[in-house]
This record gives sequence, structure tokens and C-alpha cells, in this order.
Amino acid sequence: MTIDLRKDFVDYAKSLDKASEDPNIKKALTRAVSSYRSTVAETLERFPHTAELAEEVRELKSQSIANLDKLLEQAMASVERNKGKAFYAKDHESALEIALGIIGTNKTVVKGKSMLGEELLLREYLEEHGNEVWETDLGEFILQLRKDRPMHIVSPSIHVPREQVAEVFSKFFGKEVPPDIAEEVKVVREFMREKYFTAEIGISGANVVAADTGAMVIIENEGNVRLSTGAPPVHIVIVGIEKIVPTFQEAMKVAEVTWRYAQYGIPGYVNIISGPSKTGDIEKVTTYGAHGPKEFYVIFVDNGRSEMAKQETFSEALHCLRCGGCMYECPVFQVTAGHFGHIYMGGIGTIWTAFVAGGMEKAAPMAYSCLRCGRCVERCPMSINVPAMVGELRKRSIYGE
Amino acid sequence: MTMKNKMPMVLDIISDNIIKHGNPLALKGSEAAAWAKGLDLPVKGELLFYTGGEYQMLPFIDSLVKTITHVDQGSKVFSVMMGVRNLIEKKTGINAEKIYASVLAKDKDRYNSVCLKAAKVLQGLGYEFCYAGNEELYSGALLYELGYLEDMREYVENVVEVVKKSGAKTIVCLSPHAAEVFKFVYPKMVEGFDFEIVTFVDLVWQRRDKLTKLQFPGAVVIHDSCRLARELGIHQELRDILDSLGVEVKEAPRNRDWTTCCGGPIKILFPELSHVIGSRRVNELKESGSEHILTSCPYCLSALEGGRAKGDSAIVEDLIEFLYRGVRA
Repeated sequence: MTIDLRKDFVDYAKSLDKASEDPNIKKALTRAVSSYRSTVAETLERFPHTAELAEEVRELKSQSIANLDKLLEQAMASVERNKGKAFYAKDHESALEIALGIIGTNKTVVKGKSMLGEELLLREYLEEHGNEVWETDLGEFILQLRKDRPMHIVSPSIHVPREQVAEVFSKFFGKEVPPDIAEEVKVVREFMREKYFTAEIGISGANVVAADTGAMVIIENEGNVRLSTGAPPVHIVIVGIEKIVPTFQEAMKVAEVTWRYAQYGIPGYVNIISGPSKTGDIEKVTTYGAHGPKEFYVIFVDNGRSEMAKQETFSEALHCLRCGGCMYECPVFQVTAGHFGHIYMGGIGTIWTAFVAGGMEKAAPMAYSCLRCGRCVERCPMSINVPAMVGELRKRSIYGE
Repeated sequence: MTMKNKMPMVLDIISDNIIKHGNPLALKGSEAAAWAKGLDLPVKGELLFYTGGEYQMLPFIDSLVKTITHVDQGSKVFSVMMGVRNLIEKKTGINAEKIYASVLAKDKDRYNSVCLKAAKVLQGLGYEFCYAGNEELYSGALLYELGYLEDMREYVENVVEVVKKSGAKTIVCLSPHAAEVFKFVYPKMVEGFDFEIVTFVDLVWQRRDKLTKLQFPGAVVIHDSCRLARELGIHQELRDILDSLGVEVKEAPRNRDWTTCCGGPIKILFPELSHVIGSRRVNELKESGSEHILTSCPYCLSALEGGRAKGDSAIVEDLIEFLYRGVRA
């Protein structure tokens, strides 16, 4: 079978050219790149053990990916031991069905930022099934109102300046919101507060999972994850199976390296959640749903990841911690932002596009827009060899798989 | 079931040309070797001077991109991807005359003479070398870059045959792209490919004590090529060479193994974006305080030259061109 990709290349090239002329992208990315570079340099200097720790994490991620099946089994057992419910979703559809099975319809859902959520188009799916879903991360909330998609994995609304935020907020809230960042933050805070306490369901991703304990580590700065995962009576974690590492101690190492390369000395909040809320204060009888959720679910999503793990050239792509550092150093990303992407972005995102979200049709044009310049490898705490993988993808797009 | 993809035609053109004509743009061997007339370089020797036709074809790449963007009156990108069909002749590959009519004589002369200058610089440092002349074949680096690895496996046999004829033990490459594939890709494809691979920069660096000081006013800024700096680990050498010449080097915000790409690698498929990236790099280099940009890679040279704004006072030169000043003096 032959698939004609020529039109896809043309459309993609057009979107890149258009993005490179967008003054908002130019302004925002220029600011973001220079601030990322100076902050991360300063942070790495302040915590000089980070580079060595990254080496250690690289090794342990590599081991973990090699033992994915065993770790998954162990992590699921740990979640169950903690009185949570663990699910394995082989693909996109089953992940959505499991989530819908837990949630049902006519519910209010508050959701934290998650690239896996984007991959599954989870919000859209739940909305189609009669639920009210709110993105609680400020950047994601802006995009939800704009019906827009993320332009960076850590800073999704990087391309939207305050004036445009004010415009979309004024329309949504039905009152004049000035183009003042503090005001914009405040109006969302007030709106969301009510949602946290009326929602039946909270959904979050997780940055790392410890198989031995079943602990989910979630890194954030806004505090929206605390509230989304703490206030509603049900908490659902959706997480890719590549996020599992053997032990709690190792999970802490992964988390520290992740936030450090995402330019934080220490993030505002590090959430560690391992099961439903409980108390034994009355007669030592364990009762669930004290202040936090009474029900706790974890959906481990595969959706192409174990296939990636099996292929020698590509398994390394699963080491990605999603710190976003590579994107700031990518010359193509610097001028086009997330337009160099489908759901996942940049060079590493090209590999994820091929295996997890989009397929070769989307990945092939992206692969050819990568310069293979290799600066992402310099930045990457896991030294993921993206240019080599892009080369292999090009080969596959020429000769077929 | 095997899934095959129909890819943008410009990829087919480039790969076909390499495979059939030994050059991405189907340049004739005599054309690519014209610079060596009168030098009487031997065809056999210990050290093989290898151009791969890369500097010589630079103006033609730009012309190819320009021509195919003008074939179709519609969108620029559309034509790059789809409109090249008319330019292909079944037997001879691309219609060279149509594509190359717009190449300016001065560009052709400039890029052709880079090879001559490189040869003179090395001779001035006392190196003796041989050259395959009309028979020299392109390394196939673009087959590697663009994903035509299976075709490359066959193609490299031809290249190796030519290279072996020289009887050389060492190959000196003008282009870091050629050096990269000879060093890292060929040994995986060809059994017993055990040539020592060096770059022009390596050889100059080894005898930098013999360089004559240049009376050069002002300072230069180095644009490190990605391949040279990150793949081959050569960046301090460039600074040492300039130091030996007595020339002050200013540093750009991003340099050495953190250098910013010139945008060149995506020029064929994404010419406009490539241009934007090249322009940004030129500006970044100018932040160093010097407007005299030196690089050591044919594609960087061409991309940065193209990235200069109209009327931009910046000067873009290859290190080879810069060193040649000393030879003439």
C-alpha cells in the first residue's frame, strides 16, 4: 500500500512558515528561551550535583524500560495494596473507555495538566459523553477557552500574550478583564475554587511512579494539582507506563532531575499520592475518604510504548522526562513553537508522534523538518540521541516499515 | 503488509542524482574538478584531497531551490514539493540547463575557488596530496541525511573504489559532512574501510606554527558548524588557528558544542524556514561584536550568506577563504 505524503509535507511546511512569521510566537519564544537559559544555568550552578544525578537517572531509566513488564505488574499490585484500583490500558480506546467507566456522565471533572491527556484527547472525549471538564492549569485553561492546542509541554500557552488572554477571559466571564496578569490570574482562581469543591472527579497525570510503594509523584507550581487531587471524592491518575521506576528513593531522583532541567531549583509543590484518603482516628478502624478522595484509580497507559521499548533504536525515547529543555534549544522550535509537533513536540516529539500519537503520516514531515543539529542532545539530561532516531524514521518513511 | 510512502519529489531527485551521477545535482565530474586545472595534482599519493564536489555545488543548490519554487505560480512551498516534475527528464535526471541557467558566474567562481584556495593553503604548509579529479564522487552524505540508507550501502561501493585507486592512507575532507560519513557511517557499511579521516581544519591546526601572521584589522567571530563541533569535536582548533594568525576572535552567545545550527539542513524541503533560522543565526553571531563571520562547512557558508539581510554589513567567509589571504600575501 502506498500513502501519498506530499500534501502532508506541503500543509506542514505552510504551517511552519506561518508560525515563523507570527509576532506573538516570536516575542514569547525569544523571552522564554533567554529566561530558560539563564535560569537553568543559575539553577544547575546552585545545585551542582544535578548533572551527576542525571547520569544516575539515565541508567535507572534504562534499566526500568528494560524491565517494563515486571515493574508494571509490581506498580499495579502496589496500587491495589494501597486500596486503590489499578488498570492497564493497552491502547488509546481502552484508556478512554476505562476512564469513562469510572466517571460516567453528567459529572463535573477538574483536571491537571497532562501530556497523556492531550495524547488521548481525554477532555474532549469526556465532554462528548456529557461531562463538564475543566482544565485547572492556567495555561491549559486559556487553551481550553481558545479551543487551541499546547505550544510547549511545560508552558502550554506560551504563545498567547496577556492582551489575548484578557480578550478571551472577558468574553468567557462576561465582564471586563483587563490585560493585567495579576488580574487574569485572580479571576481564574476565583472561578476554579468553586469547581474544585463541587467536582465529583479529579484527574491528574504523574511525573514518576514508584513500583515498590505505588507512589505517584506529581510536580507542579500553581497548586491546582493539590486541589484537583485533594478536594473531589474521586481521584483518577492517568500515567504512561514508561514513568515507572523500581523504588520510592529512585522516584525522588527522577523527580529532582526533571524539575531541575525544567528550570526549577525546587518546584512550588511536589505531590506524592499513593492511595485514597483515610483515617484510623476513631477506634483504629481504617475509614476511607477522610478529607481527600475516597476512591483512587490509576490507569497505566501503554498505547505504543511497549512497542517502542522493544526497538533498540527507539527505546531511549522512553527515557524522556518531559522537562522541555530540548525545545528551548531547538532552532526550529524557537521560531515555530509547537507547530513543530503534532501532539508531542520538537525532535523527541517526532519519535513519540510516530509511535504513540499520530503515526508516520504526521511524523514523517516532522522528521524532515528536524535539522539533526544535535543541540537537544547537549541539553537533554538523559542525552537522548534524537538525531539518530530521526534518521531511522526517515529511513522508514523512504523504504516503508 | 509493507506500507510505502510517496515522498516529496525533490528527495527523489537528489537521491537519484547521487546514485546515477555521483553528485546530488548531477554536476559533471569535469565541472566539479575544474578548479584543479593547472595544479597538476597527482592521482596517487599518501594523502587524498577530497572535495566531494560540495563547495562547487553550493550555488546550484540555491538555484535548484529557487527554480523549483518558481515553476509553479502558486504557493512557494507547494512548488518545492510538487512542481519539480517538469524539470525531470527520464534519462538524464534533472534538466540541468533549466535549473542552472540562473546561477551567477560570480557565485560559481567563488565557490569553485574555495577548493583551489584550500589546496594552496595546504601546499603552503608543506602538505603533498593527490586528487581524483574528474573521477571524484560525492560521499553520499545526503543519502545518509535524508534516509536513503539502503541505496547508500550500494552507492558507497563506487566511492570506495575511487578512493582506493589513489593508494592513500589518509583522506582530508573539506566538508565536515563528508568527514562525518567517512568516519562514522562508511566503516559500518564497507568492510575494511580503515582510512584515517581528517578535516582540512585538522591539517592546518597541526602545522599552525608555520602560518604567517595576518595584518587583519578588527576581530572575527566563529560560527561553529554542528557537525564539526558536536560530531567531530573540533572547535578549539579553529580558535588556535586564528590565534596563530594573530587574529582576535570574539565569541557568539551560543558557540562550540552549544552552537546554533545555520538552518542549512532543511533548505531543500523547507527553504523559507531555513532562511529564517539562518538570519537569526547571523544576528546572534553579530551579538559577539564582530561582523566578520568565519565558518568551516560548505552548507553553513551558504546558509549564513543567504541569511544576511539585504544591505547587511556582515561578511561571511569560509575559514579556507580567510586563510588564503595569508597565501597571497
